[in-house]
Amino acid sequence: MSLETQELDDVVHVASAISDEVVIELAGVNKWYGEFHVLKDINLSVNKGERIVICGPSGSGKSTMIRCINRLEEHQAGDIIVNGTEMGNNLKNIDAIRRDVGMVFQQFNLFPHLTVLENCTLAPIWVKNMPKAEAEQIAMQYLERVKIPEQALKYPGQLSGGQQQRVAIARSLCMSPTIMLFDEPTSALDPEMISEVLDVMVGLAESGMTMLVVTHEMGFAKRVADRVIFMDQGEIVEQNTPDEFFTNPKSDRTKLFLSQILAH
Amino acid sequence: MTDATQSDTVFRPKPSLPPPANTVGAVGWLRKNLFGGPIDTIMTLLGLYIIYQIVAFAIDYGIVNAIWSADTYRECLDRNRGEGACWAGIAVWFNSMMYGRYPDEEQWRVNLGGIVLLLWLIPFWLPKITGKIQIGMSAVLTFPFLGAAMFIGGEFGLFLQVMASIALTLFVAVWLHVASTYLSGRSLPDLLVSITGFANKDDRLHKYVLLGAFGVGFVLSMIYLGSWELVEVPTTIWGGLFLTLVISGIGIASALPNGILLALGRRSKMPVIRVFCTAFIELFRSVPLITILFMAVTMMPLFLPVEFNPPKLAMVIVAVCIFAAAYMAETVRGGLQAVNKGQYEAAQAMGLNFWKMMALIVMPQALKLMIPNIVGSFMGLMKDTTLVSIIGLYDILLMGKAAGQNPSWLGFHTEPLLFTAMFFFVLCFAMSKYSQHLERTIGGGYGRR
Amino acid sequence: MAVVDKAGPRKDARSFSEIVNDERYRSVFYQVIVAIAVIWTANYLITNTAENLEARGMSAGFGFLGSTAGFSIAWSIIDYAPGDTYLDVYLVGIANTLIVSFFAIIATTFLGFIVGVMRLSKNFLVSKLASAFVEVMRNVPLLLHIIFWFTLSAALPSPRDKENQIALFDSVFLNNRGLYVPAPVPGEGFQFVVIMALVGIVAAYAVAVWATKRQFATGQKFPAFWTGVGLIVGLPLATFVALGAPLTFDYPSLQGFNFRGGADVPRAFCALLFALVLYHTVFMAEAVRAGILSVSHGQTEASYSLGLKPSWTLRLVVIPQAMRAVVPPMISNWMNVVKNSSLAIAIGYPDLVAVFMQTSLNQSGHAIEIVAMVMLFYMTVSLTISAALNYYNKIVQIKER
Repeated sequence: MSLETQELDDVVHVASAISDEVVIELAGVNKWYGEFHVLKDINLSVNKGERIVICGPSGSGKSTMIRCINRLEEHQAGDIIVNGTEMGNNLKNIDAIRRDVGMVFQQFNLFPHLTVLENCTLAPIWVKNMPKAEAEQIAMQYLERVKIPEQALKYPGQLSGGQQQRVAIARSLCMSPTIMLFDEPTSALDPEMISEVLDVMVGLAESGMTMLVVTHEMGFAKRVADRVIFMDQGEIVEQNTPDEFFTNPKSDRTKLFLSQILAH
Repeated sequence: MTDATQSDTVFRPKPSLPPPANTVGAVGWLRKNLFGGPIDTIMTLLGLYIIYQIVAFAIDYGIVNAIWSADTYRECLDRNRGEGACWAGIAVWFNSMMYGRYPDEEQWRVNLGGIVLLLWLIPFWLPKITGKIQIGMSAVLTFPFLGAAMFIGGEFGLFLQVMASIALTLFVAVWLHVASTYLSGRSLPDLLVSITGFANKDDRLHKYVLLGAFGVGFVLSMIYLGSWELVEVPTTIWGGLFLTLVISGIGIASALPNGILLALGRRSKMPVIRVFCTAFIELFRSVPLITILFMAVTMMPLFLPVEFNPPKLAMVIVAVCIFAAAYMAETVRGGLQAVNKGQYEAAQAMGLNFWKMMALIVMPQALKLMIPNIVGSFMGLMKDTTLVSIIGLYDILLMGKAAGQNPSWLGFHTEPLLFTAMFFFVLCFAMSKYSQHLERTIGGGYGRR
Repeated sequence: MAVVDKAGPRKDARSFSEIVNDERYRSVFYQVIVAIAVIWTANYLITNTAENLEARGMSAGFGFLGSTAGFSIAWSIIDYAPGDTYLDVYLVGIANTLIVSFFAIIATTFLGFIVGVMRLSKNFLVSKLASAFVEVMRNVPLLLHIIFWFTLSAALPSPRDKENQIALFDSVFLNNRGLYVPAPVPGEGFQFVVIMALVGIVAAYAVAVWATKRQFATGQKFPAFWTGVGLIVGLPLATFVALGAPLTFDYPSLQGFNFRGGADVPRAFCALLFALVLYHTVFMAEAVRAGILSVSHGQTEASYSLGLKPSWTLRLVVIPQAMRAVVPPMISNWMNVVKNSSLAIAIGYPDLVAVFMQTSLNQSGHAIEIVAMVMLFYMTVSLTISAALNYYNKIVQIKER
């Protein structure tokens, strides 16, 4: 029963528990690559427990935006506040934010020289000063949650893409982040592996995690998202609840995008 | 504006704004690349200081205080107290460093030989020419004989005359081919066949036409070469850059075929052949070149029949060929491994036997992939060829040293070394840049990754 | 007709063409041909050699190794006197080759890391300077480097030229004879300092093991590195002071025309070392650069996003992966250092090739034996190193499906 085979209308929305507390605040964020203006005056605030799906054509700045949230990219104007900490050039602040924000990449980026278990325990041991046994115990819990505890002693190169991506999710969770960023987590996967990763992400959403997901999996958006954001040419064109977004898009640009992506 | 249900809002992208002034342009570039932080700034200033010191010294030593014309080294020293270069000496010794003790009035032979080789290789860079591999092979395999005939001169034996005649015939054929390709749009073989009226005869007859044409050319060449009356210049007085190029040129030319055979032998399924080839490659790759050179000049006279006494140059060339072949074998092996396995399978599926598969399918691809590495090997070999000076051949390095031992130029050591270093740098740097360029352009159609 | 033959029933006796075209027979045939060719060539060479040796009135064999060499060697790291045998000369040559290679390898590895990292610097000037260094050094033949630095070093002040003497603390002198450094003369009880230094190394190792263990058990980090440094340096130093500094130095001092006392390193050694280091640093730097570039940007990003600081990222993620790509070319570069130290002969540094393959060979005439022995040495080094390399490759190979 994979998500993409279901009709969008049949999807049952996962109950959400959004609190009033704002955990991410982007105000007037601008970014340039050289002369190229990639993010144009982005304003966005995310509440605790909110699940946001970001979509848009390639080059629209969606990845860049979430990469700014944990400072993998530096913005040149505007403010980013994560969990009350202001992102700036202060290295302490950057460290604090990165400890709280987990990220999952399109290319998994597992450490090939470490086993699955070591991948998961590396950061808890070295960043959180956790005893090894405890770190391993926690790692095993998360590996069980992503349904691959039996692969713990293998190396990433021995796993399939879907398994690697699930390990990557478990690895992030081991740092018990309050916010998770997903940068096209299923784009590098074979079709039959997409659902296993999306299932894990749905489970994560059910647990009340704050999530920002860049993806084109519209079934996932429909089922999980509290808000869908559509970006083009470096700006947020439209944002709305998934129901409104899919059934009643306001902008002509959004309609064009949806007609292309849902055409097949 | 608030009503969005009736009609679409038309999306109008915000205009792109110019980035903040301090992140782009000259200022942004400087901030990003040179003055990013305090440590960065210190490093930049330190770097600038080092560059200043080097450039200032180079200008002082090489230009401002340099002496451009003088008759003795003493004169140079008197005039600039050793604070500048004595380029005058390079001018005096330039000829020796290029040709060694090759007689002045015979040096045109060396130049002509060089020009012939260059002309032979020019078709490689002409886009329309067909049969580049054959042209290259003809040059590599036969030019050394023509060169030997020209450079040594004197009464050459029948063997050398035959080989040199073949070379000359092929050289002329290559340029007739080029001319016919550009003038008539047909390759030389096609042109010959149609001129002689064999165009609509059986294809098998065509090769007799070509053979006949070659025979005519060969006889003419034999007669022409027989008419040469060149003064003999023994190899013992060859020297300078000329000698360096002769040794490394023969080395690299022989390295390709030998290296290919050794590499194939090492990959062979036949244990005897594999063991011999592997042992040969590993032995000569694991010892320094200088030991191979010593081996050549001390052991080879023992290995040959008692009455045989080859010139030192010949022994050195043999040593360099062995060395180059062992290294080239590994380069070729890398190239063969880079060829997709599917190519071997496809060739076998077409019913090609081993040699046809290698010659028609695998080698052409492997060679293309290897060109940058071959250029690299050639550069390496040219640099390594300087080692022949240790065993007393007057290559460019030893010729420069000899300059400093001449009574009028006693102590004139630094400038010849600097000159030689600059020469090698320019040559090797240009070649490595060219091979990087090749790597990019060749990579296109034959993507390894 | 061939066609009929093929269609017909198979005969028991195989036809000639069947045998010729059988892959197995062909393979055996080729191999026999090659073997015969090789044996014939070897036989030809041996016969010729025997005739040549007879004509020159010489005998083959390793007996000459026991006879007195009778020449002196300019400088050696192990003791040698002109009365020693050719075998001693061989050993002296090997020792001299290894000592210069040893220092060159250490310096090359260290500098190569620095230059390699500099080439990747974000600072435009720094990376361009490093590139320029790389291009200049590698495009000039090593032999030229060696002769050039040797020639330049001849222009250093002579020992007698007191005003221009290049000296450090009045105890290290560099002049056109070579480098003069103070020679340590251990006093009474100095062996305890050495023992404590060894104890310090063991203790540092123990602390490192303990610190890792404790961190895994409790999560607490311990500054094992700096503690280790403290132990290795501090323990012997404390012992040294407690014993009343039982070490004196024999300082080189100018007496007459030359320096007396201290330890001297000949100019040829310095020039050779300098040139080897300059030339081979470049290849090390290229290996380091390629190794670091081989670790994808995604790895650092993933590490950062897990909250690992840049220094930890470097230590835990980038370096372990880069080393897999760096070590193989680094080791073959080391091997090339050993091989290329043979160019010492051009400037008269008495390495293996110079003292054995040249001087001993000229004097004794035993070309075959000497060439074989020299080659044996280099082959041993090279085979040992490549065996080590294969072992390394085996243990670090990233497991893949």
